[in-house]
Amino acid sequence: MESDGVERRSVGGLLHRLDARVKLLAAVAFVVAVVATPLGAWRLLGGLGLALAVLIAVSGASPIRLFLRWLGFLALVGFLSALTAGGLADRAHMSWGLVVLNLLVKNSLAFLMMLVLVHVTTWPQLLLAMRRLGMPPVLAATLSFMDRYVNVLREELERMRSARRARWFRQGRDLSVGALSTLIGVLLLRALEREERVHAAMSARGWDGTIRTLED
Amino acid sequence: MHIPDVLIDSRVAIATTAIGAAGLAYGLRAVERRHGARTTSLMGMMAAFVFAAQMVNFPVGPGVSGHLLGGVLAAVVLGPWAGAVVIATVLIVQCLLFQDGGLTALGANFLNMGLVGAVGGHAVYAPIRRLIGGRRGVLVGAMIAAWFSVLLAAGAFTIELAILGDRHEFFRILSWMALVHAVIGVGEAVITGLVVRFILLTRPDLIEDEPDSVADEVAHGMRPGWLASVLAGLGIALGVAVFLSPFASEAPDGLEFVGGKLGFLPEEETPPILTAPMPDYQLPISVPMAAIDQIKLATALAGLTGTLAVFGFAWSLSRVFAPRGSSSGKVEFDGV
Repeated sequence: MESDGVERRSVGGLLHRLDARVKLLAAVAFVVAVVATPLGAWRLLGGLGLALAVLIAVSGASPIRLFLRWLGFLALVGFLSALTAGGLADRAHMSWGLVVLNLLVKNSLAFLMMLVLVHVTTWPQLLLAMRRLGMPPVLAATLSFMDRYVNVLREELERMRSARRARWFRQGRDLSVGALSTLIGVLLLRALEREERVHAAMSARGWDGTIRTLED
Repeated sequence: MHIPDVLIDSRVAIATTAIGAAGLAYGLRAVERRHGARTTSLMGMMAAFVFAAQMVNFPVGPGVSGHLLGGVLAAVVLGPWAGAVVIATVLIVQCLLFQDGGLTALGANFLNMGLVGAVGGHAVYAPIRRLIGGRRGVLVGAMIAAWFSVLLAAGAFTIELAILGDRHEFFRILSWMALVHAVIGVGEAVITGLVVRFILLTRPDLIEDEPDSVADEVAHGMRPGWLASVLAGLGIALGVAVFLSPFASEAPDGLEFVGGKLGFLPEEETPPILTAPMPDYQLPISVPMAAIDQIKLATALAGLTGTLAVFGFAWSLSRVFAPRGSSSGKVEFDGV
């Protein structure tokens, strides 16, 4: 029933087998610690970075892929750091460049930790862990329902788009705003109609709003 | 735009996380009360839809593209709190699976896009819809709300981010953000409008509180007089636009005030808490304005033109709903 996580496969490995609750809590604690580290506490950040490096090595995640993902967000984070660093620099009596660097390092540590977490934990495991840790059951059920249908809808959209493009007798590759909006409108309609059918089918099988899993 | 970790002050992060959690808990309860056991499939499917729809890139210009945000769309179809819950679901997945938006900024992001964007957007939508009435009211309301949701979310984003910074800087950033997002918001309004129009033409019963007036419209034609609706709509639009000028001029003062109180800004002058929104702009002709005033003026002008443009476009899009008349019933979309 659960679709396999987006781009991961659960393989062996020490971290993969650890209870997802432990991993989730540890990752959250790490991120909070990084965020709470005061400006200029380079040694503390170094220590946290070292711990993260060890984790990455143990997790078996490809450092190149991690690096590329990190690079993808660098522009946004850099821009926002540069924007906010001015006021911080005055208060912390540090130079502007150092503050930007500090923010970038802290953000990278938090970002990479989350990346490692999803590398060693599948989405269904993470959801179950969150539910056991007190996430409202409706929210957890909604998240797994979404996970089930997100790719269905994406494929549907892709099919509609190529069908439309095949009948698009105009120059240029892109569909117009109007055509794309109609596609989204059709997708919304189909999604809501599919939901009606799915809900009817779920009700016929006794769905009452509570999820029951074999792990419970 | 999703705020990453570390970039907002820890105090802001704690406060927004608390507000976000409380808002989500309330929203979930409101949705469950209404939909019962259907909550999961309805919210889950809608979240999957918003997620998929966000992947469609709209060509804006050479090398630039934008995408639908969908908060107001979800709120128009399913109601304000459902819209917020859908946005929360999307944000959680984006944060945990794609690291888009920081874990400690999840509350702030939900506050901006879910509570301010979807619930706030619905608050703009509902009165406009009631005033104009019918399917036209739904469409015009949805588009203006979509435009405002982007602006309001950008404002909240800037406040969270820049509460740390220097206040002159902050002021400039806020104005620029408002200017840029006035343009982005038009895109959101156009896409939302086209999608809502499509739904109104095909399955109007899917819109939340199905426009009771669809039946009315068929029976009696447009409910209020045509001129009255135009005036009402324009009045609201302009009223809401004026609301943008204090947003450009007063918000930093409010922030300064808060900053001074909390002691993270030097207290020089106590700025007035409540002043008329306009005095700053009085007769700028003879007085040489500082650059910052020009930005303020530009922001207010952008707000005004943006609202008028969105309103005009919404009105022309909604012509298909006119019951009788020369161009009535001429449906221009083609399904797939």
